Amino acid sequence: MTEDNYHHLYVVIELEDSKLVPVSLEMLGEARRLVNSFNKKYNLDEKVVAVLLGYELKEIPQILIEHGADFVVYADHPELITYRNNIYTKVISQIAQDKDIAKIISSEDLKNFKKPRYMFFGADSIGRHLSSTVLVELESGLASDINKLEINDIKLTHQHKTDGKELTYEKTLEMYRPDFSGFLWTTILCLDNKNPSIERQYHPQSCSIIPGVFEPIEPDKKRKGQVIEYTPKIDQQDLKVTVLSRQVIKSEVDFDRYRAVVSFGRGIKDAPEENIRLIEQLAKLLNAEIGVSLPISKKPFSVNQNLSSKYMISARVIGTSGRKINPMLYVAVGISGAMQHVAGMKDSEFVVAINPDENSPIKDECDLFIKGRMEDVIPKLVEEIKKQSLLAQA
Amino acid sequence: MEKYDVVIIGGGSAGLAALKQLSNLGKQAVLLEGGNKIGSKNVSGGILYSKKPKKGHVHNVEDIYGDIFLREAPLERKITKYILHSTSKDKVYSMDLTVAHEYESNFGYSVLMSKLNAWFADQAAESAQKFGGGIISGVHVSTIEWDEQKNKTIVRTDELEEFEVKAIIAADGVNSEVAQISGARKKFLPSQLYQGVKVVVKLPEDVINERFNLGTKEGVAHLFAGDVTLNHIGGGFLYTNLDTLSVGAVYHFDSLLANPVEPYTLVDAMLKNPMISEFIKDEVPSRGKIDKSLPQEEQLRIRFAITKLIKSWYELRESYFSQSKRDELVKNGKYQSADELKEKLDSIHEQLTKKYGVGFVTDYVEAEYSAKLIPDGKRCRMLKPYYKNILFVGDAAGRGIFVGPRIEGLNVGIDDAARAANSIARAIDKNNFSSNYLGEYYSSSIEESPYTKDMKQIDKDYLKIFLDATKEVPKDIISTRYGTILKLISSDTIRSVAVKFANILGYERLLPMVESVDTYVKVPIEIAERLGKKVSKTYEPNIPSISDRVAKLKFNDDSNSHIKVLDPQSEFMKKLVILCPTQCYSLENDQVLLQHEGCVECGTCSQETDWNHPRGEKGIVYQYG
Amino acid sequence: MSDLNVAVIIKLEPDFSEGNVSYNPDGTLNRAETKNTLGPHSAIAAHAAFYAKVMYNARISISTMGPPIAESVLQMAQRICDAEELHLYSDRIFAGADTLATAEVLKTGIEKMQGKMDIVFSGHRASDGETGQTGPQTAWKLGFTFLGNVIDYKIDRENRIIRAKRLVRLQGFSDVVEEIEAPLPVFISIDPSYKPLFNTVSQRLDFEKFQKEARIRAENYKQYLKVFNAQQLGVDPKYVGLPGSPTIVYKVERIPKGKATRQAEVLDGSNSEHIRKAILKMKEALAAMVVK
Repeated sequence: MTEDNYHHLYVVIELEDSKLVPVSLEMLGEARRLVNSFNKKYNLDEKVVAVLLGYELKEIPQILIEHGADFVVYADHPELITYRNNIYTKVISQIAQDKDIAKIISSEDLKNFKKPRYMFFGADSIGRHLSSTVLVELESGLASDINKLEINDIKLTHQHKTDGKELTYEKTLEMYRPDFSGFLWTTILCLDNKNPSIERQYHPQSCSIIPGVFEPIEPDKKRKGQVIEYTPKIDQQDLKVTVLSRQVIKSEVDFDRYRAVVSFGRGIKDAPEENIRLIEQLAKLLNAEIGVSLPISKKPFSVNQNLSSKYMISARVIGTSGRKINPMLYVAVGISGAMQHVAGMKDSEFVVAINPDENSPIKDECDLFIKGRMEDVIPKLVEEIKKQSLLAQA
Repeated sequence: MEKYDVVIIGGGSAGLAALKQLSNLGKQAVLLEGGNKIGSKNVSGGILYSKKPKKGHVHNVEDIYGDIFLREAPLERKITKYILHSTSKDKVYSMDLTVAHEYESNFGYSVLMSKLNAWFADQAAESAQKFGGGIISGVHVSTIEWDEQKNKTIVRTDELEEFEVKAIIAADGVNSEVAQISGARKKFLPSQLYQGVKVVVKLPEDVINERFNLGTKEGVAHLFAGDVTLNHIGGGFLYTNLDTLSVGAVYHFDSLLANPVEPYTLVDAMLKNPMISEFIKDEVPSRGKIDKSLPQEEQLRIRFAITKLIKSWYELRESYFSQSKRDELVKNGKYQSADELKEKLDSIHEQLTKKYGVGFVTDYVEAEYSAKLIPDGKRCRMLKPYYKNILFVGDAAGRGIFVGPRIEGLNVGIDDAARAANSIARAIDKNNFSSNYLGEYYSSSIEESPYTKDMKQIDKDYLKIFLDATKEVPKDIISTRYGTILKLISSDTIRSVAVKFANILGYERLLPMVESVDTYVKVPIEIAERLGKKVSKTYEPNIPSISDRVAKLKFNDDSNSHIKVLDPQSEFMKKLVILCPTQCYSLENDQVLLQHEGCVECGTCSQETDWNHPRGEKGIVYQYG
Repeated sequence: MSDLNVAVIIKLEPDFSEGNVSYNPDGTLNRAETKNTLGPHSAIAAHAAFYAKVMYNARISISTMGPPIAESVLQMAQRICDAEELHLYSDRIFAGADTLATAEVLKTGIEKMQGKMDIVFSGHRASDGETGQTGPQTAWKLGFTFLGNVIDYKIDRENRIIRAKRLVRLQGFSDVVEEIEAPLPVFISIDPSYKPLFNTVSQRLDFEKFQKEARIRAENYKQYLKVFNAQQLGVDPKYVGLPGSPTIVYKVERIPKGKATRQAEVLDGSNSEHIRKAILKMKEALAAMVVK
C-alpha cells in the first residue's frame, strides 16, 4: 500500500559556481508550506528533505535548514562539482531510494520505504532535464513548469487509471501549469494505476517549478534540522562527459530578475544625456532594470561613450526584435507605443506611461498615463518616492 | 585557402545569367548573394524583354537558359499592348504605343523578381554544381585584395573564410559595393539616377482578364505622364501580372531633389488617379473593431477567427477566379466542382458578415511596397566597365536604358552577363586575367552591344515609330515648347537628317530639352485637358500609411547599423528626410537622424552616407520583388 | 561512405500563427480547426542533424509518434535535413501518452533504425505541451549520454568523440557557455538559439547540394517511410499510451487573474496630487503577490 512505501517531499537543490540558485530556496519555501499544511491535514509527520550535490559545500546545508529543510542529504565529491546529467541522475536516484537515509528521516523504521512521496526540481536549464531523467530512473511521473501546487484527496473516474470506477486518490499533489496561451491553467496529476489489468504505483509525484513564482520563507537561524552525508556510488560509466571549460557570458541585462523595468525611447531627444540620467535615478529607486525601444539601440542620439555602450545596445531592446518581458511594473518613458515594442511588454502586470502626447498609441496599452515631459515628471516622481519612503520609515 | 575560378557577386538576374552562361561554357563559378535567399533583395518595374536588333546581336534570356525558359519559367503575362496615357485630374488621353513596344522585340513579359530569380537560381545552380560551383546566399562581401606578386585575388566576406579567385563579376546592382571597395568608380550622382517606387496590388486573375480585356496569360503595360507625376520628370506605370498588378513610378533623382516629394506620395498619386483606381479596385473585407468590453482572451479568439476566415477567403477567391487554379483544385479532389468552390467562398463571406460583422467594401489590396534606384545608362554607364580582373555588368556598371517611355534593365544586365561570362571563359582557357586580355576584351564586347548604342545615340527608327504613334497630338502643343530641332524631327520629311544632326549634338545637349517638365508634365497635361476623356471614380481607395506599408515588409533586423550619416546638417540629407522611401530619416534639432528599421536598401541616401549593404541574410526580404 | 548515424525525433504540433490557429470560446485550442505543422523546435533539431549531413555526410533518420497525418511533418523535416529513413509510430493504443510513455515508444523505434545511432537530436520543447521532457527521457531509456541546451557541436569521427558547447541559463546568474567532450553515442536536446555555422565556400556549396537532394527526396517521401503499429514496433502495451502514463491532465481552467483590457487612467504630470497617486499605485503593483 502506498501508505507504507512513499514518504516525504524531496527537493533537489541547484547550485551554480558553489552558490545557491534562487529557485532552490523558492522551492524549499513552497515545500515547507505544503508539508506544514499536509501534516496538519493528515495528522502526520512528514519531512522536507533537501537533496544537495556538489563539491566543498561548506555552509550550504545550514542555509537550507534555515530556509525550511528538515533534513539535508548531501553528496560532496569532486566528480559532482558541476552538473553533468548522467552522474547527477544516478546519485539523486540512489539517494531517493536509499532505505538507510529514509530510516534516519522517518521517526520509525519504515521497512517498506521505496521512494519519496513528492519531489521538486527547478524548471531551468539544469532542473528541467535532470528531473526528466531522474523520473525515468525512478519510473514515475513528472509535470514541468509548475506555478501553483495543492495537496488534496481527489475523487476520480478514469477509463484507464480506475477502470471506469469512481475511486479516491488520497494525498494527491495537484500541479498547475500555465498553458501556451497564457490564459489557461492545466492541472496535472501523477496517479497510480488502480486498474487491476495495468496495476502500477507511480511515486514520487514530481514537478519542476518555475523560478520566481514562489517566495522563500523568512530564514530562521534557530530552525533545527539534520544534515546527512551520503557517499555516492560512482561508476566510471556515468562519468563519460568531460567539462573542458565554462565561460560566463556577460549578460549585463537580466530582466527576469527584476520586478520592475523602466524603458525609454526617442522621447529623450531634447536632452538625451540628462534624460537618461533622470531615468537611471527613477530606475534605481524602483529597483528596476532599464530597457530601450528598438530605435534607441541604433544609437540615434549622440551621448557619451559610457551611456551609449551601456544602454544603446540590442541586449536592452524590448520588443519583437528584442526581449519579451512581463514584470510586475513596467514604466515606458518617452515611448510612443509602436506595435513592435508593445509586443515585448504587453504581458506586464501594471504599465505606466510617461509621455507629453496623449494621442500616442502607448495610451491604449497602459494602466496609468502620466501626461507630461519626462524632464518635468520624473524629478517629481523621484521626489515623491523619497518622501513616501521617509514616511514609511517614520 | 580554398580556390575557385570565378566568383560572381550579386544574385540578381544578371549575376544568375552569368553563372548559367559560365556553366554553359563548362566553367566553374560560385555566386555570392547577400540576401537570405535569391530574390529577397530584387525589385523590378518590371518587364523582361527579348530583343532582335536590326544591327548587331544581343544575348537574350532564352538563349542563355534554353527552350525551358519559355516553357517553364514563372513569367507573369506576355505584354501584347502598350498604352501611354496623359493625365490631368479626371481626364485621360490614351495613345496606343504597342508598335513602339514591339520594335526590335521578340517578346516582353511582365515579371516579379522574387519568383523569377528563384527559378533562374534553380537552373543556374543545377548547371553550376556540375562544374564544382554553385550559389551561396546570406554572404556579404567585405574586401577584395590583390597580391600582385603572387598573382592572387583574395575575396573576404563577413560570413566565410577568405578564398582565392581568378576573376570576379560584379553584379551587385546600382549601389555596387564592389565598385566602392575596389575603387573602380565613384558613386553615381543624382543627376545620373532615377528613383523607382512601386506597390504590388492583388487582383484575381479572371478579374484582370476581364477588366483589361485580356486573354489567358496576356498582359498590358500602361504608362502615365501628366499631373500624376506631381511635376517631376519621369512617369508612372501599371503592368498586369498574373494575379497582381505592379503600379509605380520612376522619377529623375535630380528632379526629386529640386522638388522633394515623398516617394510614397508619388505612388499614391498614381493610385488615386481615377483611371488607375478603377483598374485596381476589388471587393475587400473591412475588419471592424472588436468589442473592447469583452474579456481579453475572447477578443483575441475572435481576432484569430476573423484573420483565419479572411485568409481562407483570399486564398479561395484567388483560386476561384483563376482558370488553372480552379481546375487544379478539382483535379486534386479537394473540391468536386467549381460550383462547390463558389459555395465555400460564399459561405465564408456569409460567416464573416453575419457572424463577425465584417463588412465588404470596394477598395484595393496592397501586397508589397518597394523602391529602388535605377541608373541611366546615357549618363552614367561605365565607359570601361572593368577594373583589374573585375568585370561590371548591368546596374553595377550603370547600364540602364532610358529612352522616352522605354525603360530596360533586366535584358541589358543579362546581355552584359553573357559577354562577361564569354570573356572570362576565354581568359580561363588562356590562364590570362590581365586587363589587356580580359578587361579590354570585355569592354570592347560591351561597346559592340546594341544596348550600348542606345545609350549613346538616338535610334531614328524608334523615334519615327514613337512620333507616328503620337501623331494625333496637336502640333501647336509641341511647337510652342520645343526648340527647332525637335520641330524638325517631328516633320516627316527631314527627320533622318535632323536625327543625324541631333546625334552629332549628342545626348548631353539634347537630354535637358527632352527630359524635362515640359515633356513629362506640361505637355501631357495639356493633351489630357484638350483631348482627354473623363474617367469617373466610383470609390475612394483606402491607401495605407507609410508605417503600415513598412510594417508589412519582412526584415531580418541587423543589430549592426549598416549606414552612417556623414554630415547630419547637409542640405542633401535634409531632403532625404522626405526622399527616403521608408522614412528612415528624421530631422531633430536641425540634425538628420537615422533609425533604419525600415531600410529597403534602395541607396537613395548613398550619396552622402557611408553606405553598405547589411551583413549576410540581414535586411529587407521582398516577397514579390 | 557514411559512418555516422544520426536520428531526429520530431513532433506534429498546432500551427499557432495568426491566420492558422483557432480557439474555442472557453479559451482552449480548437485542434480540429487548427492546422498542424512541424513544431518549431523540432525543425531546429532537424537543422542540427543537417549540419552533420553537410560536415560529416551522416546518414539521417527521422521518427515521430503520432496520428497518420503526422506523415506530413516527417516530410517537412526530411526537407530540412535530407533524411533517408522516416519512421511513423502510429497506433490507437499510443493515444493519451505522457512523456514517459512516449519515450518508451521512441526508444523502441530508434533501436529499429538502420545502423546503430551515434547521435539522436530532439528539440528543446514542443509548442503545445511544452514539457521538454521527452528528449531526455528517451535518452535515458536508450542509455545514451544526454547533453541539453547544445548550441554548437563538432565530431571527431576517428575517435568517435563529440565536442559540444552548451548554454546554461539559470535564474539569477549570467548565462554560462560550457564546452564538453563525450564519447558517442549521445542524445542531444538542441537549444532554441542554435544556428548551424557553415563558414567556408565548400561547406556552403555542399549545403546547397544536400538541400537540393533533400527537396527531391521529400517530394517522394513515401519511399522512405516506414509506419509501425504497436505490434510491429514490439512495445509492451502496459508501458505505452494511457496505461503507461503516470501523469494525466486532470482539468483545464481559466487563470482567474486574467489581464482585463487596459483602460488608462490619465494623470497630469504637473499636478502633485496626481504624482502622489501615481507613486502609490506603482508601489501597490510592486507589492502584489507574484503569480505569473
